[in-house]
Amino acid sequence: MKKLLAALLLTAGLVSPALAQSDEAGKLRLMTFGGEAQLKSTQDAVARFNQKYPNVEVEIGVDAVGGGWGDFVSRVLQQYNAGEQYDVYHTAVETLQSFAARDLFLPLDDFIASGDFSDFDAKLFDLTKYKGKTYFIPSTWNNIMTNYNRALFAEAGIETPSKTWTWDEFAAIAEKLTKRDANGNVTQFGYEVPAFFFGLMPWFLSNGTSPVTADWSASNMKDPKVAETLQFLYDLVHVKKVSPVPGQEGVENQFFAGQIAMISRGHWIVQNAIASKLDMDIAVQPGKVNNDTVIGFGAYGISSKAKNVKLAEALVTELLSYETQVAEGDLGGAVPGRKSAAETENFLKFPPSAPLYYETLPTTHAVPSPANFQEVDQIFMRYFNAIMTDEMTIPDAVAKADQELTRSFERIKRVTQ
Amino acid sequence: MQAGYVFVLPSIVLYAAFVLAPVAITIILSFTYYDISFGADWVGFENYVRFLTEPRSLEIFWNTLRFAFLAVSFNVAVGLILALALNRAMPTVLLYFFRLAFFLPVIISAAFVAVVWSYFYSVDFGVINYYLAQLGIGQVPWLSSSKFAMTSIVIMDVWKNTGFFMIILIAALQGVPKPIMDAASMDGASPWRRFSRITLPFISPVLFFCIVFASIGALQVFESIMILTGGGPGDSTRSLSIYLVDEAFGSFELGYAAAVSVIMMILVLIITIIQIIGSRRWVRE
Repeated sequence: MKKLLAALLLTAGLVSPALAQSDEAGKLRLMTFGGEAQLKSTQDAVARFNQKYPNVEVEIGVDAVGGGWGDFVSRVLQQYNAGEQYDVYHTAVETLQSFAARDLFLPLDDFIASGDFSDFDAKLFDLTKYKGKTYFIPSTWNNIMTNYNRALFAEAGIETPSKTWTWDEFAAIAEKLTKRDANGNVTQFGYEVPAFFFGLMPWFLSNGTSPVTADWSASNMKDPKVAETLQFLYDLVHVKKVSPVPGQEGVENQFFAGQIAMISRGHWIVQNAIASKLDMDIAVQPGKVNNDTVIGFGAYGISSKAKNVKLAEALVTELLSYETQVAEGDLGGAVPGRKSAAETENFLKFPPSAPLYYETLPTTHAVPSPANFQEVDQIFMRYFNAIMTDEMTIPDAVAKADQELTRSFERIKRVTQ
Repeated sequence: MQAGYVFVLPSIVLYAAFVLAPVAITIILSFTYYDISFGADWVGFENYVRFLTEPRSLEIFWNTLRFAFLAVSFNVAVGLILALALNRAMPTVLLYFFRLAFFLPVIISAAFVAVVWSYFYSVDFGVINYYLAQLGIGQVPWLSSSKFAMTSIVIMDVWKNTGFFMIILIAALQGVPKPIMDAASMDGASPWRRFSRITLPFISPVLFFCIVFASIGALQVFESIMILTGGGPGDSTRSLSIYLVDEAFGSFELGYAAAVSVIMMILVLIITIIQIIGSRRWVRE
């Protein structure tokens, strides 16, 4: 009866084809990540999916990813081992090679070609390729921008950073924005050197380098530009003294409290900035040889063991629909994959230069995420912290990090070759 | 006789399934290169050779011993001092107030304690450095220098755990026979002599328990270091437990991580045996 009514209404053009229902029955298992808000938008997407597929039961699992992406990869591998894998996974760029190298997910090139993904920037698909195939479809993303306190800039008489500002201009501005009391103690820092791999990457990329090679297959620590970048960051902390020593607890809060003028973060801080009533805006990454930055993203993939691939594709289509994307954009925390969802009034109202997120997309590079990502991250950050705390000299740290990274890449070849 | 075996069978089965089997599997795993997707390749002693030849793993090994020595020494010593201080006549309200105050950190989550202390220790925004600056003392890099990081973690660990040993030692002190102490006082024995010749021998079994218990805990330290320093700067505060987790779930080196856990087990075993042998010299039967 329902189907007859729908058919009559469709014939009369009274409802959109989106409400056409399918007879298909079955069960899909979806694993997503994040908190309550992320879950809510996923549940809403599943509800819309069930309007079209009323006989398909969708079981949603949520992983808080509390132990980092390496931990998440371990859990997913265990699920596959136990035959308890989900049909659709929402994951992040850091995991893509680990999964793709093990043939755990289906190539989605044909699905992408036949689906409605023209609204996604082609760059996003390029970033998810592994050995020429696309295994994941980006959902939301974050690129690292320079977030700055406009009130502190105005107070110091500093103009809005240009789209081509340089490292030297940035350092000079950071010095102007650093305040000290009579005893020489800093009361306001110009910048905070990030203490996490993703946040540090723009400094290397804007110098035309990276701690790992462009194809993510080997260490690139011996590139002199890596040491040059580390020296620049070290000088910001220890010579110019415009940044606190990286890695201290609660530094982001100091930015929201107006005690740090600039930090390198992604869109995920926007909601906190609004809640803190912070007069904040964003600027591009300062450049040495370019103004490139880094991008990380969430992405959907379909398990190679999914029993009903067509249904899984239909679910992914809904999870990446305009409605879901707008909802995720409104949640804050990331930029929607669909450009149209990042052009809504709600998304663009804060920060004032919000269009910059998308404008800089062509000059972004995916955060290096080889199959041994977690180890690369740990090794690099260990030596970075040793440099920043004066435990090691830059040449020593670079040499030792190179040794460790090289060993790590050799070990991972057991899996990737 | 046969019936006796039947009675203990459930315990033996449970022990075999949940203790012996995992230990045996871990030992077997430690001789493999194990990838969860592709299975295990037998590599013999490669994982153990790697541990014993990598400067990094040896540094982490010594860090763990250093932390254990400092944490056990100060936890038990401070616990004993507090127990002696609170094992004397004073108003009941005060007595319970102090006991509660010193014991309270024990029941707070270690992760929460570490987060709070990381704020205290912050170089540029920390409470401790703020007051030091008021006194004209320069900034101390509590967690960002290898000179101070381990000491900072030990201070926090003692603040958190010493109350536990205090409570146990108070109970032990109350078991010291009062007539013997009174007799010693009447004979003119000094407080130190009474402590070293009467109190200490009487509480030595409990003291021994505290040392062994604290050692096992300290050798397995994880969350407090993880939250305070993440094992840094460099590897200066990294413990074997953190290293094991990094290798198992960061690098997916499950075989190597199993070898690290076997080495940890052997380390705890050796230290405990040394303590038991040593205890024959000073623990009163």
